[in-house]
Amino acid sequence: MKNWPWAILAPALLFVLIGLFAPLIMTHDPGAQDYGALLTGPSGAHWLGTDYLGRDMFSRIVGGARTSLVAMAFVLLAALAIGVVIGSFAGYVGGKTELVMISVIDIVLALPSLIIALALMGVFSGDNFTWMSDYWKMIVALTMAWWANYARMSRAVVVAELQQPYIEAARVMGASHLWIFTRHILPHVLGLVVVYASADAGALVLAIATLSFLGLGVAPPTPEWGQMLVDGMSYIEEYPSLVVIPGLALTAVVVSFNLLGEAFALQKVPRAVRGRFLTRKKVARAAEESARKEVEA
Amino acid sequence: MFKLDRRSFLAGTAGFSFLSTLPSIVLADAHGDTLRVAIAGETGDLDLLQNVSTLSSYSAVFDALIHYGPGGTLEPGLATAWKVADDGLSISFDLREGVTFSDGTPFDATAAEWNLKRWMGVADFSWIGIADAYDSIVIDTPNKITVKLKRQVPAALLELTIVRPVRFLSPKAAAGQPIGTGPWIVESHSSTETVLTRNDAYWGEKPAFARMELKVVPDELARANALRAGELDVIGGDWVAPLSPRRAKALEGEGMTIVAEPGTATTILGFSPKSPMMQDKAVRDAIFLGIDRAAVAAVLFEGYADPTVDIFPATVPTAGSRTPVPARDVAAAQAALTAGGWAGDAAGWTKDGMALEIAFLVSEESFPGSRRIAEMIQGMLTEVGVKANIETVDNATMHDRRPKFDYDLTFFATYGAPYDPHGSLGASFVTASDTGPDGKIYIHPDLDVLVATALETGGDAREGAMQAVYDWLRDNTAACPLVVVQRIWAVNPRVTGFSLPVTDYDLPFKGITLG
Repeated sequence: MKNWPWAILAPALLFVLIGLFAPLIMTHDPGAQDYGALLTGPSGAHWLGTDYLGRDMFSRIVGGARTSLVAMAFVLLAALAIGVVIGSFAGYVGGKTELVMISVIDIVLALPSLIIALALMGVFSGDNFTWMSDYWKMIVALTMAWWANYARMSRAVVVAELQQPYIEAARVMGASHLWIFTRHILPHVLGLVVVYASADAGALVLAIATLSFLGLGVAPPTPEWGQMLVDGMSYIEEYPSLVVIPGLALTAVVVSFNLLGEAFALQKVPRAVRGRFLTRKKVARAAEESARKEVEA
Repeated sequence: MFKLDRRSFLAGTAGFSFLSTLPSIVLADAHGDTLRVAIAGETGDLDLLQNVSTLSSYSAVFDALIHYGPGGTLEPGLATAWKVADDGLSISFDLREGVTFSDGTPFDATAAEWNLKRWMGVADFSWIGIADAYDSIVIDTPNKITVKLKRQVPAALLELTIVRPVRFLSPKAAAGQPIGTGPWIVESHSSTETVLTRNDAYWGEKPAFARMELKVVPDELARANALRAGELDVIGGDWVAPLSPRRAKALEGEGMTIVAEPGTATTILGFSPKSPMMQDKAVRDAIFLGIDRAAVAAVLFEGYADPTVDIFPATVPTAGSRTPVPARDVAAAQAALTAGGWAGDAAGWTKDGMALEIAFLVSEESFPGSRRIAEMIQGMLTEVGVKANIETVDNATMHDRRPKFDYDLTFFATYGAPYDPHGSLGASFVTASDTGPDGKIYIHPDLDVLVATALETGGDAREGAMQAVYDWLRDNTAACPLVVVQRIWAVNPRVTGFSLPVTDYDLPFKGITLG
């Protein structure tokens, strides 16, 4: 862990911490409007200034982190659970059932996730779904658009593991399907999909912001970064900070989560560290080589 | 072999810089006699009978019998004089003599009759009173016609000033050919621009420049930047290429001329007449009193809007007496709720076990900028204790839910000149009218009777009949007018003599000279 590039991963961790403790960090009510302090710059009273309704930008950024974190967590957990159950079942059962299920997964994967989410949001805006808030509509839509990748990965892991001799041995010893699946296969499945999910978190934060940017996500007055971006667009010429601040927050979190995912994928060693590791290895080899030559000489 | 040293690099850079300025110099010269106006969407072929082309360019190419003048005055167009019979059942028009369409076809009683019969008495145009009441046309002389009606239509003359279908097309025009008698002739149109050339045979005051290029620029910021760069001369107009107050402020600080005048359309917060919550007048009163209209005008419209509680602004005819705009009064709003049987305070209200929570339907596509207004109002209502849940939907959903009154609160706007007041009253406040996806602002059986009376009353009694409608709407808090957004245009320094076109459906060119 000491080799981790904390400077790169800090935004993701900061995002999680800010999201968790947002109510304690916010200096103002993020929805409180103050027409006497419209579009002010950073000050002691408003650390990041105020927006067009006099709302505190710092508190809205912090509140936006919480909104994104909670939505992201719900979607990731739900998509992961659905994907693992469907994919594992398909892989374990095999045969025609697997063929049908994998076809459905492939069809879902063939369509861009955001397009599916947008289409579902359109469906949810109909009369039959008025009982759901926009926030939950977004979470359900994103979950339904996001599960297929996890299903495909889970199925691939299950199929691979089923070929292993120790599974055969467990069967011979009379282990039940449930035992084999939960004790031997599921840990492998979770190991992979959790790694993937860590990288996917950034994409999800971006998707949440995109839906809000398009006016289909979180409803006001809940602060949300995508919504802050689109609201700030009208003021981009005179007050670019209204766009730049949520834009930077979004960029930092997305990049950071991507790096985090990469770190997990590379056996918990991020590329930057791996690069340094390789350099050190080359230096050591060169030293060995020169020592060998000296001995030979 | 060529060697790049510092001197040749600098010389080359300077040379390229000079060459890069040449096209703009040539272009600027080429635009010397051309006014370049932004339009938000392509004009199309300006078919007068189809609801396809954008409304911004018709009046430049086609004339009507009567033109809409400042404040709703009626000005001679292709008719030099008109007379409504005492019984209101016929209107005779003296047609302007010596007028020809731009293809050379003379405009006379025969051409007028051919045009009028294309829409009068046709079911598709029954939303126009005079078309619905049409009986027959009589050609009195080669330059005089009389339109006979089945019933009185007091707003008939105003209806003849609207954008389409009332304007006149050459009877010899082939399908898709926009040939009128107006000051401009369509030279070409495409998805990116429409080019108009001056009609030198125009019967009225001819434009001072020979060409007008209508450039399609859908994005507002791109339009503003094109104006700054000198690629456009004029931007603005609600139905031409809307310019937001925020952008206008920015342009004003950069040397562009901003011309703004009081608007003709009112932004209204509509209460659903079918929502159980909004059927409670106490709730409507609380919302009406809990909104700071002056703050909405100042904060979100940068002062380019006038707060109002009247349905129509004074800029449209027979708009009724003016009601002073009350200051926001949270205590009065809460008192209204208490009087209406609600119990609670700023933390929330309940009545018969039901919490005061309303669905605020908003669509940025249908009504740009509405979400920010909704957020502001949401904040104001929260202080009263009314919880407004903003539901942001797309255009299709808005078009689906609004006609069904499937909301508690949503935004509406009156049509503005030249359609009001009869247009909005007859469509948005009448149970039986067909407004399609636009929905209606408020309906009630009592209101139907009052509106019908107002629309059928002519002469001196009309003012009073209209006022009765406005009084009913106010007494029942049937709608919540917010602001009248001003008409804003921005002009670059090359343009002199700019004045706002009479309505936001018209292109600006009258009185303009180009530097």
